[in-house]
Amino acid sequence: MIVYVIRRLLYAVLTFLGITVATFVLIHSVPGDPITFFLGRAGTTTIPPETLAAIRAEFHLDEPLPRQYLHWVRGAATFDFGISIIDRRPVRERILEKLPNTFQLNFLAFAIAALLGIPIGLWSATRSGRLTERASAVGFFLLYSLPSFWVALLLMQFFSVRYDIFPLLGMTSDDYTELGTAGKLADRLRHLVLPVATMTYAQLAIFARFSKATLTEVIRQDFITAARAKGAGPATVLWHHAFRNALIPMITLLGITVPHLISGSVIVEQIFQWDGVGLLYIQSVLSRDYPTVMGLTVVTAVVTLLASLVADILYAFADPRIRLGERA
Amino acid sequence: MLLLCIACGGGEKPAAPAVKAAAVPDDDRPRDGGTLNRRLDLDVATLNPIPSNSRHERYVTQLIFTPLIHIDRDLRPAPGLATSWEVSDDGLLYTFELNPKATFSDGKPVTARDVLFTLDRILDPASEAVQTAGSFVHLDRSRTRAVGDHTVEIAFRQANPTQLIKFNDVQVLPQHVYSKGNFRRDYNDTALGSGPYRLVRFVRGKEVVVERRQDYWEQKPYIQTVVFKIVQDHGTAFNALRRGDLDETIITSDTWIRESRNPESTKTIHFERFYTLNYNYIGWNNRHPLLRDKRVRRALSMSIPLDAIVNDLYHGTARAMSGPFTPDEWAYNPNVPVIRHDPEGAKKLFAEAGFVDKDGNGILEKDGRPFKVDLIVMQGSVSARQVAQMAQQELRKTGVDLNVVLMDGQAAIDRIMAGNFDAAYLSWELDPDPDPFNVFHSSQVPGVGQNFVYYNNPEADRLLVEARRELDRDKRRDLYWRLHEVMAEDQPYTWLIQVSLKWGVNKRVRGVVASRGFGYFLWSPGERDWWIAPGK
Repeated sequence: MIVYVIRRLLYAVLTFLGITVATFVLIHSVPGDPITFFLGRAGTTTIPPETLAAIRAEFHLDEPLPRQYLHWVRGAATFDFGISIIDRRPVRERILEKLPNTFQLNFLAFAIAALLGIPIGLWSATRSGRLTERASAVGFFLLYSLPSFWVALLLMQFFSVRYDIFPLLGMTSDDYTELGTAGKLADRLRHLVLPVATMTYAQLAIFARFSKATLTEVIRQDFITAARAKGAGPATVLWHHAFRNALIPMITLLGITVPHLISGSVIVEQIFQWDGVGLLYIQSVLSRDYPTVMGLTVVTAVVTLLASLVADILYAFADPRIRLGERA
Repeated sequence: MLLLCIACGGGEKPAAPAVKAAAVPDDDRPRDGGTLNRRLDLDVATLNPIPSNSRHERYVTQLIFTPLIHIDRDLRPAPGLATSWEVSDDGLLYTFELNPKATFSDGKPVTARDVLFTLDRILDPASEAVQTAGSFVHLDRSRTRAVGDHTVEIAFRQANPTQLIKFNDVQVLPQHVYSKGNFRRDYNDTALGSGPYRLVRFVRGKEVVVERRQDYWEQKPYIQTVVFKIVQDHGTAFNALRRGDLDETIITSDTWIRESRNPESTKTIHFERFYTLNYNYIGWNNRHPLLRDKRVRRALSMSIPLDAIVNDLYHGTARAMSGPFTPDEWAYNPNVPVIRHDPEGAKKLFAEAGFVDKDGNGILEKDGRPFKVDLIVMQGSVSARQVAQMAQQELRKTGVDLNVVLMDGQAAIDRIMAGNFDAAYLSWELDPDPDPFNVFHSSQVPGVGQNFVYYNNPEADRLLVEARRELDRDKRRDLYWRLHEVMAEDQPYTWLIQVSLKWGVNKRVRGVVASRGFGYFLWSPGERDWWIAPGK
């Protein structure tokens, strides 16, 4: 088991380095650079060449790409990801202040979607093919295909503009700093309702349909028939035999979903003015803020790799065959 | 000495609100106090006015700092920190008299040394003053000096008639604060200036709050607190305006056209639109083998129906352009006609220039080469794409295959600024005092200036050079009127339209006036004359 974990860990480190090189090369080879960003901002004014040279020198843009990458690696080794070309603040600080916001939003959406979606999926699996199940499948498909910007605007119109039930935008009210601890928590939760709702409905559909599909698959297997034949009750069959075996694909789904917890949703963050990582990512790419793009890549890569590592280890626990296969 | 302006403090502005209020009932008289909720459509990168390079940041710094001179409602220089100024006859020496009452918000007086310090910061490449450094490249630092505490002489190696207005970008910094540490990195989150407001709080991603200074040295604004809320999404911002979370916001054309007719919205929102110094155009690469002939470029322009763009796409909230100046500018020659949509005339001109459709596929050819041109359009703007598509359809009818290429902004700028393109749909934001030298002189090709279409006409070159040396406004006007004619004839661009900016303001806010070319903000007094009516 330990050998297995160490081997997986080594793969993860290599993959991580590969990702940083690939991202670095990619972002630098996309046409346009921080200089074009400043040129665009200057309009009809001609920027003096010395000023452009100063910007290039400050961010090593005047050096060959491999040297630039070495500068970056040297910093990154000590968790210094440089400063943003846009606002000159440390990239680490910029990301760390937005990460909790994104995590809060996505974790709530994820948890609600999973807690509602998986039981619904199990329920559907037991009713596979019946009218109620068919109707719910159509319903979930519709839900999944609703564009989130449209749902967000609808929620806003109804719950905020027409009836002043939830705040329209932002993460906190104007008087947030004057509130007590309970007041702060309540205020934050009120601000979370609409964005979380917007993020939940599609994920809920995914969880419900996916867990239904895997469970239906398992129920068709011979060992379930065998369990039934030996006289086990429906609940025992579903819980003890079927659900456990459906766990592996579910772990895969969780492994895929977890990185989304920190990657942020551009649309929801933009519409609700939620100060998260998603908007930071897209804006950094659009303005060619190389250090911030690299910093965000590192965070996303680490979380993705960790998630898949944990998923792999969980497989090994859930399915002894995987462990044995590695040892052999 | 040529006396450009001696303004006596108060001659022009402070009396205005009282006059306005004279004939109206009591509760319509300007009142002190209240909070104004303004919108910023992007997060603030820096509150330091020197490296700042975007308009939304200037909205904030305009209230915290004072420029050497302001710009008034007609875009003329007006007193700022300087109460009066003189320009030498040769246009090389500017002498500013600073307001002796002026203080920074920490109580220290504003002196000539602070002005010199600010100029030095603008000139220092390390400050990255991308928007202002270019206006001061000819400054002669060795002859620039402080004469006593409140007089400053600023010398140039080259005279430039637009120089005076550029002092509007010199938002004077207190040397005793900004001279410590790293200028570019250490002053992005703080701000201390001599403006009517002082910074209370800046929460990144959320808001900037400023508060009126009790000790302000000039006529105080009416509004006590201004909260700039960062709201990136236009749809959300409009909803916030309807709810009263915001008091003002720019509005997209679609929303404006729909909502300004909706009684539910007009009950609480004042809708207004105005033209600024912005215009949209298609730049043709004048070196391109297919586009080299000015008859061809004229025929291209004749193929594009500006009327339909204005009326069908913008519902009349835009207007057609005829050349490099906008109709509100004095440089605009009203005798130059807008090119009319004339497909038949265009076909004749194409034929004259040697383009015929020999193979009968509907696309013209010359020397065996089909008339196929890529038009770069920046991603993100729906209306830009619609305009480009309309141009594409209409040009197809006159035998031109215009291929619309959507590109990410930086990638587009990368291609365009290198002169590596056929055609591009773009817009310019002009300066309040015109000097299109950088954009159209044949020396200002990529790498030097912004003439990325490689426009080259000796007469235009001569006019551009003469006009930027001519200090007499009437003579400059004659030169630019002629330039307007010459360029309209050459059509290095197809000048398309000016789209009016659309705004919504909560009706509780009063005293709202737009300037000729700048809209509501960035001119004086502008929002300093706004006030908030008592709630019902």
